[in-house]
Amino acid sequence: MKRPTLILVAGLAVAVLAYCGVYYAGTANCCHSAQDGTPELAWLKQEFNLSDAEFKRISEMHEAYLSGCAERCRRIDLKNEELLRHLAATNNITPEIEKALAESALLRADCQKKMLQHFYDVSHTMPPEQGKRYLAWVQKQTIPSDSHSQMHH
Amino acid sequence: MQSDETLRQVLRQWKVDAQLPPRFQEQVWRQIERSEPQVLMPAWVLLWRRATAALARPSLAASYVTLLLLAGLLAGYWQVRITRAQAEDNMGVRYVQLVAPFQNPHR
Repeated sequence: MKRPTLILVAGLAVAVLAYCGVYYAGTANCCHSAQDGTPELAWLKQEFNLSDAEFKRISEMHEAYLSGCAERCRRIDLKNEELLRHLAATNNITPEIEKALAESALLRADCQKKMLQHFYDVSHTMPPEQGKRYLAWVQKQTIPSDSHSQMHH
Repeated sequence: MQSDETLRQVLRQWKVDAQLPPRFQEQVWRQIERSEPQVLMPAWVLLWRRATAALARPSLAASYVTLLLLAGLLAGYWQVRITRAQAEDNMGVRYVQLVAPFQNPHR
C-alpha cells in the first residue's frame, strides 16, 4: 500500500478508535449501574446526590414499600375479578356491583395514600433541598395535573 | 516541366543557416501532447489523486490525522452525552413505574 493511502486509512482508523474509546469510557458507568439489581435506585442516588447512609436507608424503605405495594396490588386484582364476575351476571347496577366498586375505589385510594406517604418518607431521608426537589419531581410524575373538565368539551 | 526542374535545382542548393531555438525538440513534443484530447476521469478519481498527493506532504498528513482524531473524540463525547441523557430519562421513568402502580396502564 502506498504511503499516502496508508495515512488516509490510518486517519480514519484513528477517528473510529477515538470515538469508540470515548463512548465506551463515558458509558461504562451508565451500563454498569443498569446491570445492577436495582438500577432505578442507583439512578436515584446519583440524581439526588445521596450519601451511602441515605441510600442504604432509602433502599430499605423502598424494599419495604414494594412488598406492601405488591400485596395491595394483589387485593385490587382480586376485587377487580369480583367486580367483573358481578358485571357478567347482570345488565344493571346491583348492590353487589356498587359494593365492589366502592371497595375497589377504597383499595386504590389506600394504595395512593401509601405511595404518597412513601414519597414523603423518602424525601425526608434526603438532604432538605434534594428532598424538596425529589418531592416536586415525583409528584409531577405521579399525580395527574390535566383537568378532567376539559374532557367534556 | 522546365520550371519544376529549375525549382529542384534551387532547392538542392538552398542551405539553412539559422539556428534552432534551445530545447526545440522538447517544446515540439509538449505541443503535440497538449494537442491530444484530454482523458476525462471520474471526480472521485481526481479527488483521490489530489488527496493522496496532498498527504505525501508530512505537515498535511499530520494535520489530517490530528483533525480526524479530534473529530472522533468530539463525536464520541457528543454521543456519550446523548446516551447518558436518554439513560437517565429512562431510569426516571422506570423508578416512577416501580413505585407508582397506577402509572402502569394495565392495572
